[in-house]
Amino acid sequence: MKFGKRLKQQIQETLPDWRDKFLAYKDLKKLVKLVSSSPAVVNGSAVKAEAEFVYLLNNEIEKFNAFFMEQEEDFIIRNKELQQRIQSVIDKWGLNGNHPSDTNYREEMGKIRKDIVDFHGEMVLLENYSNINYTGLAKILKKYDKRTGGLLRLPFIQKVLQQPFFTTDLVSKLVKECESTIDAVFPAVKEEGGVHEREQEAITVVGEGIFRNTVAALLTLQEIRRGSSTYSHFSLPPLILPDPDLIQSIQFHSPIPIV
Amino acid sequence: MSSSLPVLPTPLEEKYPKLPNSFQVSAEMKMMTNPISPQAHPLASNNGTVGYMLSSDFVFPKDINLSSFSSNSSSSQNSLFIPQSSTNGVSLPPISSSGIEIQSTPSVTFSRERKENSWCTDSLKDFLDFPENVPIQNNNQVEGSGGGMSYEDCAKTTDWPDWADQFLNDDDSLEPNWNGLLIDVDVPDPEPKVLKPSSSVLTHQSEICQHHPAQSGKISAIPNSLSPAPSSKSRMRWTPEMHEAFVEAVKQLGGSERATPKGILKLMNVEGLTIYHVKSHLQKYRTARYKPKLSEGTSDKNLTPIGEITSLDLKMSMGITEALRLQMEVQKQLHEQLEIQRNLQLRIEEQAKHLQMMFEKQEKMEDKKLKVSSSIPDEPSSPISNVMQPSPVNHTSKVSEQPHVASGFDAEESSQNVEQKQKAPKTSSCEFINQDNGMSSTPPTKRARAENFLSS
Repeated sequence: MKFGKRLKQQIQETLPDWRDKFLAYKDLKKLVKLVSSSPAVVNGSAVKAEAEFVYLLNNEIEKFNAFFMEQEEDFIIRNKELQQRIQSVIDKWGLNGNHPSDTNYREEMGKIRKDIVDFHGEMVLLENYSNINYTGLAKILKKYDKRTGGLLRLPFIQKVLQQPFFTTDLVSKLVKECESTIDAVFPAVKEEGGVHEREQEAITVVGEGIFRNTVAALLTLQEIRRGSSTYSHFSLPPLILPDPDLIQSIQFHSPIPIV
Repeated sequence: MSSSLPVLPTPLEEKYPKLPNSFQVSAEMKMMTNPISPQAHPLASNNGTVGYMLSSDFVFPKDINLSSFSSNSSSSQNSLFIPQSSTNGVSLPPISSSGIEIQSTPSVTFSRERKENSWCTDSLKDFLDFPENVPIQNNNQVEGSGGGMSYEDCAKTTDWPDWADQFLNDDDSLEPNWNGLLIDVDVPDPEPKVLKPSSSVLTHQSEICQHHPAQSGKISAIPNSLSPAPSSKSRMRWTPEMHEAFVEAVKQLGGSERATPKGILKLMNVEGLTIYHVKSHLQKYRTARYKPKLSEGTSDKNLTPIGEITSLDLKMSMGITEALRLQMEVQKQLHEQLEIQRNLQLRIEEQAKHLQMMFEKQEKMEDKKLKVSSSIPDEPSSPISNVMQPSPVNHTSKVSEQPHVASGFDAEESSQNVEQKQKAPKTSSCEFINQDNGMSSTPPTKRARAENFLSS
């Protein structure tokens, strides 16, 4: 039940609108148990149970696809809008603009910065959404095959790999574009002592913002990747973060709201 | 088939004849190249506005009955493809539809009142049964056989009027047909085809789709679109290029407030794009533009308002800039990790697929060997076959799948795996060397026993 717990955590920590869009892992597990509980039953009912299982899976996948593409479409639109906003600020208040004005430039850019960072975060969260659902599917299929001795997993997962919700190349591209835009427009200013001090002291974050969600997602990802009892050749190796101190130093302040 | 086709996200190798609109999908599926790099956006291959609707047909691959069927039907399906050779690079997108095929064959009468739960078991059986009655060579019937899902959507009359409305506005010639469909969902269609009454509706629908391929995208069904909300039967996967074309069209028409969906649709001239898609996209567009003007800096209620950032209780007084920087750091890391994870997952499955293929090949070889030397008693294998139950071919690949993966893995990834399971790789090599036939029939649960047996 370890993954199930992690998934539940993730759902709690995710954006409110997203909560019902995740994999119904628990339900599928129950179904798997039902299927396997009667192995000696007549062929007909076994086939029927499997059909139900497949039907549920397909429904879930459809749910993912629909949600994912909806979000993706939004991202495409917002991406363009942000680009335009930035461009218009540069054109207007920028150094070579119509009315060069440093104060106005900074002010407007400041607002955009918040938006673009959150936009980046949301996109990454969508990627996370995609991945965690995929992981859940892979796990449930593995359980199914194990329980029933069936061979559903391999071909089914091959199909899943090609589903829209898992083909996240566009979102990934947008994320990278976003990063380069941010780097270009908001050049990083290295503060000498700042970085080290940040890592040493605990940072408390309140609120239910994107930031909280991404931190939670990263932590969950790490947890899921820890070795388990069923660690096999198909398992992913434990997560190695390049900067482990980064998220370790962040604590959440407010309790998780129960919706 | 033109190479400018977008790659379809849904696999259709064992393509069961699908919904009328989804016939477009199979040609495109053949274009699908490497599953490792699934490209849902082959924009590079198209200059400009290529969007595509997605077929989420989800074929259950285990169905042995289907394989022969699909091979028959593939040729007929080919003939139904909408020509994709439009020079401006716009190609027909695959249309979203959902479908599941299963093995069960007892036929059950299709009933419109059937709820979703019972639908899955009963109507799927019926739906599966349908193609067996249909002469495969007939294109129309092939079309109709995949209509199980769409039938369900037909049954949801709440969705139809809204959806059919779009059609009616756009194309009068469709009108009589659709009305007929709406009214007489259950009435046996006087079609000169050998069909069951329940499937006649599907055929009827398929005919219509054939006549109006450009708009057939709508017909695909999405089981989740049960809500009366503006749920589209087909889903369009937008791309940045399409959006560019959209924005351009809106500009030409005088801005987002003045532009009409119909006008935009015409200007965009993307095959397969429907007015419904444009409508919903326009709505999103207007919202995205309007909100920033409403409240400076906040464009989404889900986003943290600026006020919240300042209320971040940072033990170190970071300031907004630093907080945002930190946020970016975390997000970047998460993104990177997700990418890595995804690639690993893809590789794992690629490996598994490979090994499966290899094992199947080996099995064939073994079969031949057995046939050649059938008289030679196979001593080592007989005690093994007593221990393990013989099972169908399918199970064998499952067994070998897991032990063999390790051999192909990269050292860095599998170092931990290999250390933990020393036995498995040894067993796998034994299996390959000995080509033990008895071993191949081990059910997964008895794998541990088998390994013990062989390594002893």
